[in-house]
Amino acid sequence: MKNRKQHSRVDKFLEFPKEVYSNEPKVVVTGFDELIIENFKGILEYEEFFVRINTYIGIININGYNLNLENMTNDDLKVRGKIESIEFERTID
Amino acid sequence: MFIKIIFSYLLGFLRISVEGYYIERFINICKNRKITIWNLKRNSNISLLLNVRINEFKDVCKIAKKTGSKLKIKNKKGLPFLLHRYKKRKIFLILLLLVVILIGLSSVFVWNVDISVEDNEELVNIREDLESAGLKTGILKSKINTKEIINKIRLEREDVAWMGIELKGTNAIVRVVKTDEKPEIIDDDEYCNIVSNKSGVITKISAQEGTANVKVGDTIKEGDVLINGWMEGKFTGIRYVHAKGEIEAKVWYTKSKKVPYTFTETQDTGNEENKYGIKFGNFEINFSKKYSKFEIYDTIETENKIRLFSDFYLPISIIKTTYKEKKEAQKTYTVEEAKNIGIKELEEELDKEIENKDNIVNKNINTYEQVDGVEVYVTYEVLENIGTNEKIVF
Repeated sequence: MKNRKQHSRVDKFLEFPKEVYSNEPKVVVTGFDELIIENFKGILEYEEFFVRINTYIGIININGYNLNLENMTNDDLKVRGKIESIEFERTID
Repeated sequence: MFIKIIFSYLLGFLRISVEGYYIERFINICKNRKITIWNLKRNSNISLLLNVRINEFKDVCKIAKKTGSKLKIKNKKGLPFLLHRYKKRKIFLILLLLVVILIGLSSVFVWNVDISVEDNEELVNIREDLESAGLKTGILKSKINTKEIINKIRLEREDVAWMGIELKGTNAIVRVVKTDEKPEIIDDDEYCNIVSNKSGVITKISAQEGTANVKVGDTIKEGDVLINGWMEGKFTGIRYVHAKGEIEAKVWYTKSKKVPYTFTETQDTGNEENKYGIKFGNFEINFSKKYSKFEIYDTIETENKIRLFSDFYLPISIIKTTYKEKKEAQKTYTVEEAKNIGIKELEEELDKEIENKDNIVNKNINTYEQVDGVEVYVTYEVLENIGTNEKIVF
């Protein structure tokens, strides 16, 4: 933990984007139909109306309908569909 | 990611459906093994549709076994499958190659020779001369030496002032400028007579050099000598000179025409009939009978060369023949009308012929009524300078 803090001090100084040097997820919502999550851990649940995504600091719930996982790479996920609500569940403080 | 998907089109990918209870686990394992899957779609039941590359499909199979779900291939997409499908169609492939080769080969030749003469003047036999100089349809483009052809033609023909050949695609565009015909010039130090070039009556004659052969009031014909190219001195005898002088003569221009009282007038009825044909070189195929269904008609033929791209002409052309129906009607003129029409037409013709209208001295119109029409005579009396030089041949 100490090591991490040191890291972050240097990175803050160099103005690195946070999602690059830490495990914290970045959630980008474009319109109401598209959502991109960087730095995710895995998918906990996937239904047409509900997506539950695990990240390093918590869980993201997406409600809606016709939800598709369009692109999936190692640290990038694109959800497309009629998104109605996004919820966060903290697992660490 | 977008580039990745395009890349997978080249490598080929599968759309598969996964059925099972642990679909989330399946996705997570795929993610952890760094297998790219995209366009995941959950059906309302327990199946999941997703795309996967063919080289990763075996790993996906293993994962599916592990998670206890069923795999089903729904669709195969991409270049490898496309090629596989055409592997069996050998004739198709051969023909495709043949077409490509033929197009490539035919683009090496000239299929169209366009000749445009400046100011829409006409040059007789220019096409034939070009062909004999080496520019004709169906010749290799690399064989054409434009400079040589231009030189050949300019040596052969005197009426070509400038010529340019441009090879554009399968077209050869030839631009020609015609020279003005120059009159025969006789040098001042050569002996010549002045000879009449029109027939008329002399009104004025003055010889600056030479001896006048005619007097004022004389009637002359074409070819008569007006001023002789020699002078006679008392002591020197006959001395030849370059005749010079001015001769003015009254020249008559007469035109006659017979205007009949009854005449047939043709009119378009507006009915048209189109017929088509194909032409390869000199070989023609008509799709329908050549004869029209109309009794009286005009034929208009238009030829369209087929081209692939903007200037890639093929030696095939489509011929469209349009028949326009005509109607004939009998009409009659009164005597006065016939006269007026005749006079008007003749005057127009004469006006075109006479360059200088100020010199018109007199107009004479005679009409003779006959049984079936009116004969009209129109005569213009014009004062003109006449005479051309003619070399004295000893």
